[in-house]
This record gives sequence, C-alpha cells and structure tokens, in this order.
Amino acid sequence: MNSRVPLKLTVNGETFDIEVEPRWLLSDVLRHQLGLVGTHVGCEQGACGACTVLIDGKPERSCLTFAIQVEGQQITTVEGLTRDENLTPLQEAFSEHHALQCGYCTPGMLLTATALLRLEPHPNERQVREALSGNVCRCTGYQFIVDAILAVAGDTKEDAR
Amino acid sequence: MKPAAFEYRRVTTVAEAVKLLRETPDAKIIAGGQSLVPLMNFRLTRPSLLVDVNGVKALQHVGWDGAYLRIGSLVRHQQIADHAEIQKHFPVLTVAAKHIGHWAIRNRGTIGGSLAHADPASEWSAATVTLQAEIDVEGPQGIHMVPASEFFLGYYSTVVQPDELIVAVRIPYPKFRIGFAEMARRRGDFALAGAYVEDAGNGEGFVTWFGVADKPVRVPTLLPDNMETRREAWQQALETLAIADDSKPRLHLAVQMAERAWQHSRFDGARYLSEEAGGNQPL
Amino acid sequence: MTEQAMRPQFMGARVKRVEDPRLLTGQARYLDDIDLPGMLEVAFVRSPYPAARIMGMDLTAVKSAPGVRAVLTFEDCPILLWQKDSYQVGQPVLAHNEVRYVGEPVVAVVAEDRYQAEDAAELAVVHYEPMEPVLDMVQSIAELPRRVHAHAGNVFYHKEYTTQGFSEAFSQATRHLTATFRTTRQTAVTMEPRGTAAMPDPASGRMTVYASTQSPHRIRGDLAELLGWAENQIRVIVPEVGGGFGMKANTYPEDVVVVWAARHLGKPVKWVSDRTESLLTDVHARDDIHEVEVAYQENGRIVAIRDHLMADGGAYPAYPFSGAVGETSLASRVLPGPYQIPYIETVIDCTYSNKTPLGAYRGVWGPIASFVQEGIVDRVARSLGRDPVEVRRVNMIRPDQFPFRNAAGMIYDAGSYGESMEEALRLVGYKDFRARQSALREQGKYRGIGISVFVEPTAMASSEAGSIGYESVFIRVEPTGKVTAAMGLGPTGQGHETTMAQLIADQVGVNLEDIVILHGDTDSAPFGGGTGGSRSGPIGGGAALVAGREMRQRLVKLAAHQLEAAEEDIELGHGQAWVAGVPDRAMTIRQLAEIAYTHVKRIPPGMPIGLELLARYRPEQSVSFSNGTHIAEVEVDPLTGLVQVLNYVVVNDCGRLINPLIVEGQIHGGVAQGIGSAFLESLRYGDDGQLMTTSLSDYLLPEATDVPRITIKHLVTPSAGEGGIKGMGEGSLIGAPTALVGAVSDALAPFHVMVDRLPVTPDDVIEWITARE
Repeated sequence: MNSRVPLKLTVNGETFDIEVEPRWLLSDVLRHQLGLVGTHVGCEQGACGACTVLIDGKPERSCLTFAIQVEGQQITTVEGLTRDENLTPLQEAFSEHHALQCGYCTPGMLLTATALLRLEPHPNERQVREALSGNVCRCTGYQFIVDAILAVAGDTKEDAR
Repeated sequence: MKPAAFEYRRVTTVAEAVKLLRETPDAKIIAGGQSLVPLMNFRLTRPSLLVDVNGVKALQHVGWDGAYLRIGSLVRHQQIADHAEIQKHFPVLTVAAKHIGHWAIRNRGTIGGSLAHADPASEWSAATVTLQAEIDVEGPQGIHMVPASEFFLGYYSTVVQPDELIVAVRIPYPKFRIGFAEMARRRGDFALAGAYVEDAGNGEGFVTWFGVADKPVRVPTLLPDNMETRREAWQQALETLAIADDSKPRLHLAVQMAERAWQHSRFDGARYLSEEAGGNQPL
Repeated sequence: MTEQAMRPQFMGARVKRVEDPRLLTGQARYLDDIDLPGMLEVAFVRSPYPAARIMGMDLTAVKSAPGVRAVLTFEDCPILLWQKDSYQVGQPVLAHNEVRYVGEPVVAVVAEDRYQAEDAAELAVVHYEPMEPVLDMVQSIAELPRRVHAHAGNVFYHKEYTTQGFSEAFSQATRHLTATFRTTRQTAVTMEPRGTAAMPDPASGRMTVYASTQSPHRIRGDLAELLGWAENQIRVIVPEVGGGFGMKANTYPEDVVVVWAARHLGKPVKWVSDRTESLLTDVHARDDIHEVEVAYQENGRIVAIRDHLMADGGAYPAYPFSGAVGETSLASRVLPGPYQIPYIETVIDCTYSNKTPLGAYRGVWGPIASFVQEGIVDRVARSLGRDPVEVRRVNMIRPDQFPFRNAAGMIYDAGSYGESMEEALRLVGYKDFRARQSALREQGKYRGIGISVFVEPTAMASSEAGSIGYESVFIRVEPTGKVTAAMGLGPTGQGHETTMAQLIADQVGVNLEDIVILHGDTDSAPFGGGTGGSRSGPIGGGAALVAGREMRQRLVKLAAHQLEAAEEDIELGHGQAWVAGVPDRAMTIRQLAEIAYTHVKRIPPGMPIGLELLARYRPEQSVSFSNGTHIAEVEVDPLTGLVQVLNYVVVNDCGRLINPLIVEGQIHGGVAQGIGSAFLESLRYGDDGQLMTTSLSDYLLPEATDVPRITIKHLVTPSAGEGGIKGMGEGSLIGAPTALVGAVSDALAPFHVMVDRLPVTPDDVIEWITARE
C-alpha cells in the first residue's frame, strides 16, 4: 500500500518527474522531495497557514492536500515569487515595514497577500486582515504586515502585480 | 502527524467512484479534504483507499434545475460566496459561506464534503435543513433524493452509505425571509452557536440552530413583536432539542444568535449583505 | 564630517534587517530543512495516561516494521534530566517504570522517514496500570491525593519573605481586602515547532548537534553533562529559529535521545515535533494562584500586601529551569511593580502534578505579577469609589526616589513610571473617556479602559537562558576591511544580525553591509548565555559596543601611526580613517587591515598583528528596569461575551533604542500575545488528567482580525550600562494581558465584575452578566 507511484508535479513553472507515496502531503513533497523548504509546516491540520501555497493561483493549504492530487495543476511556492535576485515589491515592502521577525509564517503570508493583491489590487485594512486571518503570526502582532501590504497596494498601478 | 498508508484512485465519473466504493468497504471519497485530511493526519481515520472525485465534471456546477437551485457537491465554499446568482436569490448562503473557515480553506473545501462530514456546527448542514433542500445521493442503485431534514443522523453521522456519495444539493426558492447569525471565538472558527431564522410574516416562523444540538433541526416558533416574549419563544424552541452543552452561557448564546438572525432576516438587499448582518466579509 | 562621525549613525536608526532577504525568499534554513544523506527520523511513543505504572512492553512488532532502525527505551538510554543540588527529582529522557504526564516520551522509534517511524510507533504495546492523577494545585500542596514522586514531597520549592514591620503596618491600616487571582496554563506556541538533529562527524569523531534553541552553549553544556561527553566533542549549530519566547530555552528529553541515537547508530538522526506533541510537551507556563490580602488607607495609599503564591510545576522540574520557581520567585520580588508599597509578605509553594512540566513563556513571572499588582490597585480604587488613575498617582514611585528599593529588596534604576502613565492617558483620551463611557452605557454598550503600568527587570545576572551575567563578542576586521563578529546569543526572530551590526558599525566606522554577525555555532562563538530574559540588547549589545570600541582603538592607533597624527585627532567613519579637519589625510579601513595582516612591519611598536579581539561585558548593575504603560479600551458585547479591543496605547521606556522599528515590532507582537493570554489561550486538562487542547483549533492563537492597531510612544530613560540600553523583549507581554482584562473589569463595573482570572472567555462574561438573572 505504501508503494510509490510516478507523479508529474508542476511547481513554479517547472515540471518535476518524481515518485511519491499516495499519502505524502504536498507540503512534505515540496520540502523533502523537491527541496523547496520555503514552504513551512506549522500544524498539519490547516489551522496555522504556514504551509499556504498557491494552487492554480489560489491560496490553499499544502498540508491538507496530497501531492498526488495536484498533478496537472500549477503550484506556486515562495521560491516561485522571485524570478531573479531581486525582491518583489511586496517582499521589499515586508522588509521596509519590518513585517517579519522569525520568518516562519512569512512565506504563507506572502503567498496569501500575493493572491489577495491579484484579486483586489487596492484592498482596505479590513480586507487585508480578513484575507490574512487564516495565517497565524506569533511574532509581529500583524500590524507591520498589514502596513506592508497596504503600502504595496497604494504604490502599485492596477496591473503592476 | 502523518497519515497512514492508503491507495489512491482518481475518477472522472460518479459511476466509477461508486464502483470503487462498493469494492472496498473502507474506501473514502476525497473532495476538498479540508475535514478529511486533518482526521487522516491525526490518524483518527485510515481509509485503505481514497477515491478522488475532484476530476468529476458533473459535480462542479451551480445552476437552476426547474424551481430548484442545484449546487454540485464539488462546488467550493468560496465559489458559493462569490456566485452572483446565489447572492441575488439566496443571499443567506452568501453570508453563511463567508463564515466558513478561512480563505485558503474555502478555496478547497466543498459543500458536499461539509454535508458528508456532518459537523453539528456546520453552516451548510443547517442551511440545507433551513431551506428544506434535497440532497442527491448516488449509490449502486442510482440517485436518490434525501430531504435535508432526514439526512443528518447525529454527530458526524448521515444516511449516506459507505458505497454512496453526495452528488448535489437542490434548494427550493425560499418561501420566507431568512436571517443568519453565528458566534465564533475568532474568524474562521466553528461556531459556538449559530442560527438561521425564517420569518413567515404572520408572527410565526422557524429557527434552525447549529453548534447547539447533535444535528440541525428546523423548529417552528412564534415570532412575537415583543422582544421579551420572543426570547421566551426561542427558549421554548430550544427545549425541543437534544442540547449538546446545556450550560447557561451556551443556552444564552443560542437564544442570542436566534434573536440576531431574526433581526438580520428583516434586512433588505444591500443591507442584508452589509457588515451589520455579517455578510460584508471581504473575499 | 567630524560632527557626523561622532554622532551614532546606525544606533537609533530605523534600519531594515539584514536577515530579511533570505527569510522573504524561502532561502532560510530552519531545523526541519536540514536533510543529510542517510538521515533517520524519530517518532516517540508517548504516555496516554497522566499517571500510570508501566507493567511491561511488547515492542517486537515495532522492531520489525518497515524502515525501522532502532527502538529505544529507558533501558537503552538511562539518562535523567537531573538538576544537581536543586531538586530531588529528575525526568528520565524516556519514562522509567512510571509515566507522570500525558505526552511523556516512553519509547523512541528511529526509522528511515517520519511516516515509517509513525507507522511503527503505532504498533508499540505498553501495558499500563493507571493511578489516580494529581491535578489540583492546592490539594497537591497537602500531598493529596498522593505524591507524584514516591520519594519526594509534592512541594518542591517553598520560600517565605517578610518585610520587617509588616504585621504592625498591616494591622494598623484602616482598610483591608482579599482577592484570589488565577492564571490558566498557556504556552509559547512558536510557529516553528521544536526539533533537534544530530550528526556524528566521521572525520573528527565529534558530534554536530543542530538545535532549535535560544541558548547554544547552554544546550551544549547540558548534553555534555548528561551524556558524560567532553564539551569540546560537541558542536551545537542553531539554524534559523522560528520563534522561541522562552519555550526553547530548555533542554528537553527528546534532545538527549536524538543525540544519543545518532551516536549509537552512527547516523544522522532528526526529530521534529508535530503540533500535538508541541502542545503536549513544550513547557507549559502560567499555572499560578495568588491569594492576596491588602492593607490600605482611605486616601488610596496601599500599605502592605500579603500574597500566597502557588504554582503547579507539572510532573518534573523542567530542565534546567523550572518555570514554577521562575514565575513565583520573581513575582514575589517585583509584586509592588511601580508603586511604593512599603511592606510585603510572601509565601511561595511550587508543587508537582501529573501535568506537563512548567517552563518559561515570555515574561515568565511578569504577566502574572502585573495582573495581581494592577488588580489590587483597581480593587482598592473601586472599594473607595475613586478613579483608578487617582489611586495609581497616589501610589506611584516618584522620579526623585530612584534608585528605589522596593519592599522585597529589588533596586529599581531610574524610569519614567508616572510620566509613561500620564502620556498614555493623554494618547488614549482618558480625560473625556468617563463621560463617553456613561453615555454609551445608557445605550447598552459596555466600554472600559484598563491601565497597566509595568516594570520589567531586564539584563538580569541569571535568567532562563542561562545564569551568566555577561556576554562575549569575538570581533575581527578581515584582511579586506570587512568586519565579522561572533556571539553566543540565540536569536529567534529578534534581528540580532542587524542590531548588533548597528552597534558595531558606529564604533568601527564601517557601513552596515560590511558587517557579518555570526551566532548559533559553538565552534565560532565565544561562550555566551544565549537569548532570554530580555538580555540580548543590554548585555549582548553592551558587549558589541565594547568590542567595537576596542577595535576602534586599534584602528585609531594604527591609523595615527600611518597618517603621522595624534590618536585623538583620528576619526573613523564610512570605511575610512582620517585626520580631523584634514579629510584628505585619510586611509580606508581596508588599507589599514592590509597593513595589520600583510605589511606587518608598518604596525606601530607594541601593537599585535592582525585585527582580532575578544571582548566581554558584564553590567555593573545586576538588573536594569524598563518600564511603560499599556492602556486598552475595549467594548464587551453582553450578548456574545466577546471582547473587542477598540484602542490600544503603549508608552514604552527601554532606555536608548538600538532600532525603533525592531522595538516596535517586539511591542506589537507582545500585545498580540497579550490578547491571546487575556482572551483566547488556555491549556485545559480534563478531570481525568487528559490535555484537551491538543490542536490549534482548541488552543486559540490571535489572528490578524483579533489584534487592533497599536499606538506606540517611546520615552528614553537610559540605563547606567553600556549605551544606556535596557532590555525590552518581555515588557509588552507583561503589560498587555493586565490592561486588557482590566478594561473588561471597567466595562462590566455595572455588573460588579472584577476579573480574577486569565484568560477571560465569552462563557465567563456571559456567566457574570447573567448571574443576576
């Protein structure tokens, strides 16, 4: 039953041919098979949001999805936000506003915020807090995260992000 | 916290799924997995086979079926929250959808999964009972329709047999004005108490609580204009239920949520979807 | 130019963190990101009982399960987390004959991956004979229903203290009140769970231990001691740590088992806690009762406080720091807080129970003592029908009284106690609040304000991070002029790579990007105490300043010699040394470094080759007090019992700021944790001794929608130590819960509510409001 099966996984625009046990969580496969350890695991029950990735552009929990389920879908992890050496405007704003301390929740925050800004380029504070409510941060008290996202939303034109 | 081993099959038709369920008695359907996978990660459930129905197109649509709104079992909570037709004709569902979990959970979790899981605090379970929906269940003998009032048996328990799956929910056009309210400790948490209230306009109506008893039950109630007598009516309605936690705070909350839901039922149009009524949650 | 160089360029600036790029791009490496070839993973079989005898085990199925490499019990790994000279009890790293709390590790299963390890662990058969658990603190003191450890009494720490003249003062006061304050178990819940990995280094034969800890040298010392190895045979590397908050200051049973397994299997071994394990076995905190009697005068002056402090320490003293002792002993000494209360009498009892050991969580004693302290003031005010602000003013220590010796003998250095409160009252608009409050009450809206004036002892000689009162910095100007400094701190998100570099940059005269701060590697760092007890800024930062200054003196001497100028005329800055007033007579630091390492003939006589030195800093004062005031305005919904925080103000004084952005981030985070402590977080045990809150759907953390916007103002009363820096990591969580629940008491005054517990739940509020119905 725990024999491995082949899987074609598309992550950050790249396709990987790997073998997985059906029970392996997407979070584990991203981290331990593909080495994309920027996706963090905080609770394995969908409560903390640290493992949030984008699946076909939507934020979802990689700890509540088996890797085998997402064949053919586009997965985006934090490593996929940056194509070159430079930080994205959102990442830049996170640094500028001190929106991260220990950094463990940060990838999930960035992915949720990225999806939010695509959907709603100029969110108000309430929308930002609501969107982030499924991503727990234990260090920052959220204020600087909210500030960073609002700053980027204020700065960018409709289609910049 | 890693799930026990299982075999995995992806299907594209309901018939295939039913066949696999029949062949493997402890098989389980996986749709959104937002309730199932945590249970598997905790090893509280360990199916030997997971039948993935995410590729079954027939389960993915929202549309009219005569006088009924038909919501495929695979429709995600967020799709319901965003659906213009639902917002127009069933704003109570829009409001309820926005109270389910968090955005990432709503993006994957499905209405069928919620109903099958049958958490007594589920917004969807109580919605189907309130709206007198029919739940289409398909098994080896084909599809049969179960009235929502007969669908839930108790805690995490429904009439769905191991070789059956939910294919759709069919909701008749509501007869009455309906309000919704729930109280949770934080955004996205399961409600400590919630209620749907229907006001027939003649001083009578129905209340359907969730998170209060072991399953949602639609209880007829008087809806007097006077707040004090209305409170008594809520209390009488409550007494007909098998209350899970009959501590004073919980009974208080159940009454307050019914009252709040009733007040929301009196709102119209945009106000119904406003922050005041809990419907203006972004996303 | 001279002017500019004299003024610190980096200290006090809102500098972006050098840590951020790697954290923002997913390039940082936390413990579970360490994956070594052939690495094995551990799953623990844990006790399902709070108290039971182990009658036997059958592990045959475990041993033959796929992928299993080793199955360990206490017989294999007979090690006790024994605190020499402290207590009569030490926790076995794997249960020995008896289990004493739910979650206690019993068997370790080492397998090829975590999935297989968990599969195999499920197959373990352990025969238990359950015993009646000890669950109630007060009963435990009376040895009821039984002893947790047969050979030791349940009260493992007892202490009494009385200010001379207490009895007379207490009985002579005209008014008295009594109150009981109860805090419920909470825990740090770092977003990154605990974890340890160990790798025998085949080349050197040494053991490399990767630890998610706040205190690298401490854990190295503990492992050496417990395993009986030489300290220099162990190298501890601390990767990125996803939060600590005191909880990662301990050495845990799992740490020892993992290292032991790596040695005996000759393979890299890793264990990472899952969230259920975290909630069961990370040290718990805040399980305290204070029974208080207060004597005061008609004018609100508080004369004397008697306090019986009790803490449930759990099944074993956490190693090497018992949170029960930490919470009570310091609480007993800082109980008067910022008030000049002349007499106290305290009795402390710390007891064993069949619950998880109690350790440190940010603020340790502080959130409890502050809750008691301000709770007393609010009760005095209400009993006299006076404004709580007035009673605070009457009792507040005045600026002319510093240094102030409190009734327990603690010496407070200068602070801005009254000023911080007045400023916070102004920011929150207290002047017209009472009018607003009564108008809203007419409409059935219940608003309240809670005031929390806190003191925060920082930079103490001993804390949960270790009992050394100094820090060390090894600093080197590299041959190319770049600066590397290594420290024994254990940052868990505080940004030390930035703040320590800021301090050094100003001294050495280089830019921030030219400095690398190394930490978390016992092979590169000088011996240090680690991070905890708000010590890294004042003590670590002090050491960075001393190291930077000593290096500056070397560079100045070298430059003076090269530029043929007097040392006092040499200026350093922007990577250059120049003669004051003659900017053309300059050399780069790089050129000076080349001389120091390469053209050594040009070094002035008597000066050592190279630019390397080790500096240590030990503050003269054994403690430095930060202070501040938190004020919360809340609205309590009488229908749901939910509390909404409408306005939150912090006036904070932690001496000179190194980086205001980082200080504010710390404050925001502490207030958010305070919201959890006040309203959401609670580790609940059932009557059967089972922990009922074993997931993050039961143990509720504050979300973005629960935390309000926070207004911060800084006051600056410098410490007497290096740089005038005081610590500040804990003050925000010391102040916040008290302000928040104080606001609930104020809002619900019409219902005669005075909050006596942390946290306050909606059920509590509904109970209070409906009590009269």
